[in-house]
Order: sequence, then C-alpha cells, then structure tokens
Amino acid sequence: MNDFWVLKLLDRLQGGFRRAGVDYKMLRSILQVKLTMDGRRTPTVLRTQKGSQGTEGSPLRVQWIYLLLGLMLILFVVPGSNYMLMMSVLFAVIMFMITTTLISDFSSVMLDLRDKNILFSKPVDRRTLNMAKSLHILIYLVTLTLTLTAPSLVVALFKQGVLFFLVYAAMILLMDCFILVITALLYLLILRVFDGEKLKDIINYIQIILSVGIAVGYQLVPRLFDMTDLTASFQPAWWQYFIAPVWFAAPFEVLVGGNHGVDFTVLAAMSVIVPLVVLLGYIKLMPLFEQSLQKLAEQGAAGKENGRYSGLLSGWLCRDKAEAMFFRFTWSMMRNERDFKLKVYPTVGLSLILPFIFIFNQAWTSDHSLNTESKAYLFIYLCALLLLTAVQMLRYSSSYKGAWIYTAIPLPETAPVYRGMLKAVLLRLMLPLFVLESAVFLWLFGPRILPDLAGVMLVLPLFAVICFRMLPRALPFSEKYEAAKQKDFTGSGFVLLFILMGLAGLHYVVSLLPLGIYIYLVILAAVNVWAWRAAFPHEGSRPGQIPTLGA
Amino acid sequence: MGLPEEPVISISGLWMNYSDRMVLRGIDLEVYRGQIIGYIGPNGAGKSTTVKIMLGLVEGYTGTVRIFGRDIADGDAAYKRRIGYVPEIAELYDSLTAREYLTFIGELYGMERTEADAKAERLMDLLNLKKAYDMRIASYSKGMKQKVLLISSMLHDPDILFLDEPLSGLDANSVMVVKEIFASLAAQGKTIFYSSHIMDVVEKISSRIILINGGDIVADGTFAQLQEQNREGSLEDIFNQLTGFDKYRDIAGEFVAVLGEGAPHE
Repeated sequence: MNDFWVLKLLDRLQGGFRRAGVDYKMLRSILQVKLTMDGRRTPTVLRTQKGSQGTEGSPLRVQWIYLLLGLMLILFVVPGSNYMLMMSVLFAVIMFMITTTLISDFSSVMLDLRDKNILFSKPVDRRTLNMAKSLHILIYLVTLTLTLTAPSLVVALFKQGVLFFLVYAAMILLMDCFILVITALLYLLILRVFDGEKLKDIINYIQIILSVGIAVGYQLVPRLFDMTDLTASFQPAWWQYFIAPVWFAAPFEVLVGGNHGVDFTVLAAMSVIVPLVVLLGYIKLMPLFEQSLQKLAEQGAAGKENGRYSGLLSGWLCRDKAEAMFFRFTWSMMRNERDFKLKVYPTVGLSLILPFIFIFNQAWTSDHSLNTESKAYLFIYLCALLLLTAVQMLRYSSSYKGAWIYTAIPLPETAPVYRGMLKAVLLRLMLPLFVLESAVFLWLFGPRILPDLAGVMLVLPLFAVICFRMLPRALPFSEKYEAAKQKDFTGSGFVLLFILMGLAGLHYVVSLLPLGIYIYLVILAAVNVWAWRAAFPHEGSRPGQIPTLGA
Repeated sequence: MGLPEEPVISISGLWMNYSDRMVLRGIDLEVYRGQIIGYIGPNGAGKSTTVKIMLGLVEGYTGTVRIFGRDIADGDAAYKRRIGYVPEIAELYDSLTAREYLTFIGELYGMERTEADAKAERLMDLLNLKKAYDMRIASYSKGMKQKVLLISSMLHDPDILFLDEPLSGLDANSVMVVKEIFASLAAQGKTIFYSSHIMDVVEKISSRIILINGGDIVADGTFAQLQEQNREGSLEDIFNQLTGFDKYRDIAGEFVAVLGEGAPHE
C-alpha cells in the first residue's frame, strides 16, 4: 500500500478534522485502502483499447489522456473575445468528460455495497464514515478536474489575466459541485423509481456513451474547428437557460467582457445559485440516498426474456439442433452480458458513425458532393468492423468459469457451436446496424445503390467467416476478459482490415463494369455457401475435439 | 464486566418490517457469556436480519436491543469494538492482499497497524495461508477467503462473535480446527452466535439452539431439551417438525417422477 500524497496533505489538516469530531486515524486508513483499491481498477477510457496487462493498473495512465484533452482546451481560452461562445463550448466539453467519467468509473465507488457490511459493522462512527466517503469522491473529482483544466488555467492566467483566471477557477469549482450533486440525485431518482438492476444497466449505457463519445470526438472536434465560424456572435435565447454550460460561461461575459445585459446577468447568477441550491437539497436527501442504496443488493425481478425471437430465428436459420441451441445461447448471452456490451457496443456506435464521417469528409474536401456517379457509398463496408470486434470478443465473459459446461455435456463436434454463434452475431448485431445504415445511404444516394447494398449484405456473412477463421479459435464466452492475449489480435486484426478493404476494392472494380454487380451477386452467393461449408467441416463423431478452455 | 448472570445480549419485543412483509414479529431473547447459540430457521425466517440489527447494519426496527448492557440505539458505535462478524456472503475488498485487508480491519477495530499485521500473519500461518498472505484476495479459493473472513472477525479478540455459515467452503480438516477454536473461545467465556443450515454441525457444537420461523422464536433450549419437547430424532427431524415441513418425501418423489417424463432421448 502506498502512502498517497493526498494523505500527507490531509495530515496537515488533521487538527481541523479532530475538531469536527472525526476520528482522523480511522479516516486516514479508510482513505488509504480506498485509494489503493482505486489504483487497481482499470478506467473505462482505456479499457476498450487494451486489456489491463499490468497487474497494478496505474491511475496515472488515464490521466495522460485527460491531460492531452486538457491541452486541446487551451484553444478556447486563448482568443480574448466572444467569451460566451468559447466558454460555453469549453464547459460543455469539461462537463461531458467529468460527468461520464464520474458515472462510469466512480459509480462502483459511490455505490459500493461491500462498504455497508465491512465498514458499518466496525466500531467507526457515521460521521467519520461519511467524511471518508465524501473526501474520497472529492479527491477523485478534484484530481480529474485538475488534470483536465490545469493547462487551460495556466494559459488563462498569463494570456487573460488574474480576473479571468479567478472566474475560471470559481466556475470550475461550482461546476464540480453541480456535477456531483446532479449525479447523486440522478442515482437517487433511478433507485427510487427502478431497482438496482436498472441502475447497473444505465451505468453500463453511460460507459458506452463515454467510449463512443471519445472515439467520435477525436474524429469530429478538429473538423468542427474548421467549419465553425468562431467569430459568430452569441445570441441569447430562452432555451439557453436550460443548458448548464451556458450558465458557467455567462460570468466571463459579465465580469471579464463587461457586457451587463439582462440575459447575461441572469445566467451568471444562475451559475452560482443553482449549484448551491442543489447542494442544499442533496444534504437534505443524503439519508434517503443511503437507504435507497440497500435496494441495489435486493434481487429485483430481472427482465423476462421469453426467447421468442431467438427461438423462431434459430428454427429458420439453423441446420441442426446443436446449432440452434448455440444460436439461442449466444443470442441471450450477448443480450445479458454487461461486459460484452461494454466492449462491443462502442464499436457498434463507431461502425455506425465511421462511414458517415468518411463520406462527409469527402463531401467537404472535394467539390463534387454526392453526385450520381459517386462511389462513396462503398464506405458502408466500414460497418463490418463491428464483426471484427464482435467475433474477437465473443470468446470472453466475466462468468467464463461457466464454460465447464462445454466439457461436461456430450458435444460430438464443435462446428455447430461456431456456426450458431456466428449466425447469432450476424443477426443480432450486424443486421440491425446494416439495415439502419442502408436506409440512410439509400436516402443519400438514391435507389440506384440497391444492388450494391445487396452485394454488401452478401459480403457480411462471408467476412464473418473470414474473421472467424483468421482469429484464434475459442469457444464462446469461455475465457477471462483480462487474459492479456488481446495483443495477439492486433496482427490478424490488421490483416482482416486489409481483407475488408480488398473486398470493398473488388466491389469498386465490379461496379465499373456494366451489369457487373449482378454477376457479382451470384458469385458472392455461391462463395458464401462454399465458405460456410468449408469453414465448418463435418468432423464426424470425434470426442475430445473441444479446444482447451482458456485459464 | 459485571456479574456473569447479566446477559451479554438482551433483545425484547423486536419487530421489523421491510416495505412489503414482516420479518421479525416480537423476538425476545437473552444470551449469556460462554454460550454457543445455534441460530437456525428456514430461508427468509429473519436470521440474518436479527444479526444485522444487532450490528447496526439495519435500522428502522421497533423494540430494544441491548448489548453489553447498553442500548445500541444510543448512537455510540463503540460496542462494536468487542464484536466480530462473518457475513453470509464472503464480502471483502478482494483487490487488496490479505495483509492489507487484515491490517486495515484490525485498524478499524482500533488496533495498532504493526500489532494487527503481526497477529494476522501468525494466524494466517496457523491456517496454512502463510504463502498467500501477500497475494490478492481475488485470487483465493472459496475456502481461503472464508479463512480470511474468520481471521478478520477474531483478530481483535472480540467478546461476541456473529457467524453466518462460517464453515462454508472449508475442507474437513479446517472445519475441525475452526470448531475447536469456537469451543475454546466459548470456554473462555466468549459468546458465539452461529447461524447455519447444516443441522449436523449446529447439533454438535451448540450449547443452546434457537429456532425461528416466520419471524418468531419457535424453540429455544439445548439439543437435549428440544428432543424432550419434541419427538426423538436428529436436529434435522426436529427442524422439519417445528417448521411444519413434513412433505419432503412427497416432493422428492414427484421431483424424480418429473425427471423420468417425456420422450426418451438417445
């Protein structure tokens, strides 16, 4: 266990804690343990990219990413005009980052139920416990905020002067209060209305939003700079009263910009009053929060799934009973497994967005926007990236130990397992995404691309088989997530990416020939049939064919 | 502390209801030094709730609970210093090593860090966990976690132990060691409050058995007394009889019948 510098800082204040009736020694050891445990979690921001190879996931690693983002924020404080617009955008970015990070990485701390059994059963008074919990969250929030805003704060001090700096610092503080309270109240509301399972689901979705948000943000923010006219003047409107970042931007306009319009003054007042009011409300509701936490432990009636769709689909699409069985199994696992969703759904978002990013990119850079000759619709191939991630992730599960079932059941061959699994992925994840994407593409490019879309649709199952063959084989949901094997995939991942580009290139060539696409459709259909047969040969009844289970 | 006749725990008129149902309906109970109480009852009878109320984990009950002669509702958590607790689910901060966890728990109970560390290390050694002392608890087997929980509940030498299924996951040899530990502690005058579903163990180690059903105490006494009041037989038989459960043969018969139904496969 390390001696954290925060604790050393707190040591200086221990007299104050003692006077407030807090058992400082106890407080210190609780915080030390909490901070140690935090160091051993992997933050969401990094989780999608690499498994936590190092046993000691350092909290410093993630902070580099925030620091980098913080450097980008400098751009907003450098121009000395148009505070309202610049600071609104700045606070919007900061609020998004902090709120989503707080919810995704820190909710496990705010909602840790073990605390109750482990800490409350010990002779520690409530005041000390509450103080420890508040301080813990505060330390986290301040560290996060500082890494994110420190670069722009320093630049602001030198570029804009002391007044700007002070207003900025004060607003950041108020914003932190606001975020913390709003998050807690949100939890409270969800817990009052729904059960604990729902809250875990919502946290899961927020984690997904964070991952997608960052991925898309990297693509979009530089482009936004190009297209946004940053000198545009700010027009107050009634709806802006409901947008928190605008409140926090208003004091800059009033105090630094010297613009004393009624709108700005009211907005500036809100930036101070609203956080303080919700803070008071939160303190009043604190006991209610503790009570509601108990609900998390209760086993709520989990959402029922009667498996009708998967039952019907497996009947239509699967050749034998074993295949249908694993189709349904994969289907429901993908639906229920939180970690699978967390790993794969960001890619769903990305696969949805990427083709459009490329199309618009082309539309902006070249003069000929989406004309009748454009082959830009071939960017739809990018949505097949989803298959790459999904097929790769299917082997993992947080309940990987349940995989003993594969060895315990009389499974004559593994081909039906894989076939059922791939079909489930194609139908549950790939098809809805592709249909949605195609609809937008049809609207953009017109019905002329219909045969091409049919071609892409036939390529998808083919690509799924290729992914499956290229990636190391493992039974679905049978390995541990952290198994640091993911780097094995980078190589084959790149090869698969090239194959996908090759397929798109082939399509391009074919589409240049008259009627070529129709011939291509027939060929694709035939290749599909052959590939699905060849990839899953009928092994005959050979026992012991099951690959060794990971870990 | 006072005369030995004074109860260590005294509960009177304890009622508790969760939002939808009554969990405890008027429990009265006095527990004395040196007793090993086997606290048994069917699932959902209110066993865990009673223990959690005594630990201050559950609030909103009516009635009084006095431990070491003091009402626990007076807001002073100091009485917990002399209590040890093993919860039913092996809940611990498993990203810590056993050294970190046990030292921390010792500190929470007011021990010095070095003292807690040294004591925990020796206790771990005695339970064959010396090598695992500096390993993350997350990598432990179920039995190893249970041993860590047991140590964490006894490290500060408490006067009362609340144990919820304390032997789960332990191998037969460890079970013998732990049972012997309980007996020695009781001989020293400590009180052990033991809930379990394994009737054989309860029958053997308890000096007093309390059976609750539907939030009421339905039997209270030594095993011999229970046998006198009810028909002869094992504690399991008495349990079945007192909880009004006599259909086990019918249910088992029907269960097996269902297994055999349907078309034969392969």
